[in-house]
Amino acid sequence: MTDILFLILSLFALTGAVGMITLSSTMHSALSFVVTVMALAGLYALLSASFLFMVQIIIYAGAIIALLLFIIMFLNIRQDHTPKEPNKYMTMLLIAIVLAPMDYLLFTAFARMPHIEDFSTKIDNFGDIKMLGNALFRGWLLPFEAISILLLVALIGSIVLARKKERR
Amino acid sequence: MIEASFMSYISLCILLFSLGIIGLISRKNIFIIYMSLELMLNAINLMLVTLSKYFGDIDGQIIAMMVMAIAASEAAVFLSLIVAMFRLKKSANIDDYNTLKQKGTL
Repeated sequence: MTDILFLILSLFALTGAVGMITLSSTMHSALSFVVTVMALAGLYALLSASFLFMVQIIIYAGAIIALLLFIIMFLNIRQDHTPKEPNKYMTMLLIAIVLAPMDYLLFTAFARMPHIEDFSTKIDNFGDIKMLGNALFRGWLLPFEAISILLLVALIGSIVLARKKERR
Repeated sequence: MIEASFMSYISLCILLFSLGIIGLISRKNIFIIYMSLELMLNAINLMLVTLSKYFGDIDGQIIAMMVMAIAASEAAVFLSLIVAMFRLKKSANIDDYNTLKQKGTL
């Protein structure tokens, strides 16, 4: 059952990613990326990370992609605003050929890690919100506070950057 | 048939990350470059969660959550930069954002 779920979700994720980098319309590309994000949320659920599953849906699909779609519609991106890119497939093929040795290296490096049985589908409380919160507020308190300051700085910075300059 | 094992998750992460790099380098639309960056962050997140499951250690998921927070703040700043640049140039093509380029040489 989990094998079939994994196959379907990974197929969705890869299809969404390929559509995202190949589609010419910006809006279609963004909508294709939503498919990838939701499929990745399902994969987190398969990996028994139930809290990250919710966070992925709320933050990525709910906030980041919604913000991106909002900006695309707000700026009213038309076909004449976007570049033409007549030979993008050739470039993609070239970069894929260049990247193939790196992928092979990574794959062989991970394949040498010791094999463990029963990797997926273990029902316990691993990755639920209680365990994550315990670890977060005991061992990771300083990084957590730093992240909150970073979010505040990003909030102020985005308001300052997107504001219209007032005429003097 | 591929079983949902450790290596299949890792292969999916590697493929998604490579697709992100391909989109990042080959496209000229600023929005698609931004989405490729997000795709790379997502691939790294999936790898962190996979390794967290593999080692039975919760720290990987915490780092993945922090990556998500950084991605959210990056989204805010990047999109407001896009709004400012689009207002200035009326284009989403990165070849038009060449104000700092030195004219004449090269």
